[in-house]
Amino acid sequence: MDEILTNRVEDLRIKICSGKVKSKDIVKACFAHIKKIDSKIKAFLKLSEENSLNQALQSDDKIKAGAKCGFLEGVPIGIKDNIMVKGERMTSASKYLENYISPYDATVIEKLKAAGAIFVGRTNMDEFAMGGSTETSAYQKTANPWDIERIPGGSSGGSAAAVSAGMVPFALGSDTGGSIRQPASFCGVVGYKPSYGLISRYGACALASSFDQIGTFSKTVKDTALLTSIIAGKDYRDPVCEPKEWIDLHNIDDLDILRALKIGIPKQLLDYKTDVEITKHFNKAVNKLKLEGVKIVEIDVPAYRYVPALYKVIMCAEVSANIATFDGIRYGYRSPNGKSLNDEYAKSRAESLGYEVKKRILFGTYVLGAKNYYRCYHQAQRVRTLLINQITDAYKKCDFIFSPATLQMPVKFGETLSEECDIFLIAANLAGLPGITVPCSFTGLGVPMGVHFMGLRFSDAKLFQVANAFERISEFDVNKYPTL
Amino acid sequence: MLKEELETTAFLARIDIKEEEKRKYLEDINKMFDYIKILQEPDVTDLKPTTHVTELRNVWREDIVKPCSKEVIDQMLDGAPAKEGTFYKVQKVIEA
Repeated sequence: MDEILTNRVEDLRIKICSGKVKSKDIVKACFAHIKKIDSKIKAFLKLSEENSLNQALQSDDKIKAGAKCGFLEGVPIGIKDNIMVKGERMTSASKYLENYISPYDATVIEKLKAAGAIFVGRTNMDEFAMGGSTETSAYQKTANPWDIERIPGGSSGGSAAAVSAGMVPFALGSDTGGSIRQPASFCGVVGYKPSYGLISRYGACALASSFDQIGTFSKTVKDTALLTSIIAGKDYRDPVCEPKEWIDLHNIDDLDILRALKIGIPKQLLDYKTDVEITKHFNKAVNKLKLEGVKIVEIDVPAYRYVPALYKVIMCAEVSANIATFDGIRYGYRSPNGKSLNDEYAKSRAESLGYEVKKRILFGTYVLGAKNYYRCYHQAQRVRTLLINQITDAYKKCDFIFSPATLQMPVKFGETLSEECDIFLIAANLAGLPGITVPCSFTGLGVPMGVHFMGLRFSDAKLFQVANAFERISEFDVNKYPTL
Repeated sequence: MLKEELETTAFLARIDIKEEEKRKYLEDINKMFDYIKILQEPDVTDLKPTTHVTELRNVWREDIVKPCSKEVIDQMLDGAPAKEGTFYKVQKVIEA
């Protein structure tokens, strides 16, 4: 692959702005690399080559003329296919939205456009982000760049694979129950889900609104912080998006941070069957942190055991409400076989939605019904409170909670991950906390494994400092790219 | 979940399910039900349910009608599977 693609965004943006590197060259290199390898990976659903090149030329002209550069002027980025870019098709990897053209920009897209970023294409995902392997996409299966017989994880598998294989330096994803951090960990890149309410979801396709957040993929924690600094911030169009205080995301270099840090490891980690290699590398990481002066404490969150079940109930309930908007009337697929209005709704949805989506809608509708509401939905919401209380208590003993990102390695296509695999990631969504996965090591499979740091709500800046410090001591080589 | 309950739920969710698909849905959904039984385990009667992690409150604003440009109206209607003038076209709702 072209060496220009190994640039980190922090360097690339400066090189472009100073005219040392032409945006045109980096964009051309991206497309050449994508064309060469994406037939094997299938990370992208759609590419915007002509547009991207035109934009790159414009950026280069602007720079040559001495005009003021955007913060990400001329830097290419991949966008998950559930985030709207005005005038572009957005499918959410569903047949229902096969011909849907976004009528407006998502807030994050508006901000990235203002910063001068170039959208090279739309990345593959599980249909409406429902899945953890990117296999429920109605269009294609994405492969893990480190082992193309394995899943990249999901639901943002396309973004993870694209960044991992060097097709784009960074990408956007969305995370409802680990959908950024799990594929990031499987593909050996940094994956970040912000505190609930730090980044606007306006213009993103909703899955479960009390969990959904837009977040980022990049090779390094610094690039993650950089991208976050552009897209974060209050937005009246997403009522939950109101960061309490402005978070300075630019200065994340604090080499001393580990020395005074207390990190909690959940006792419950021992309750689960964890891949032996993951355990081995995780323990090595813990020892490394200790050597840096980190104080490791054991924390007790018994409610972790309820995480997958309570996520299932609340997520499906919210899905059933959110997906009700897809009725085949105002946009999207309409069945030609409907005999009445109701029949038309039912057939439009039946013919265009995949099995996983329909199953979740049905389960969600059922747990919200009068018979089950109190016993299932209401109960789950109370157990959610229990979990949040226990996690809040745990933070009295530590600054961050540390765990392996997943309990399993990425499986082969068609195989399933256990219900508990992403439990430590999902807890962050249930409690609205920020979480970041950082590559830790390569395992014997030749596939990377990652670790997860979770902080208190709106501690995102400090989370980056800690993750950045870990990245420096991690044995994972961020300069290594998969050979394809 | 019983077969009749699946049928009612499918009607409520407006999803047409074919007879031959019902077995698989029932099997999978009942598996999910078995899995979530664990939520009955803890005593949470004293806890308030969490609907959101933010302290959401009502935001009031004046109800002002803003004009909408023809461009936006066209864009919105462009996505419609069927339309007439500036309206979405649907099947007859009231039967004669």
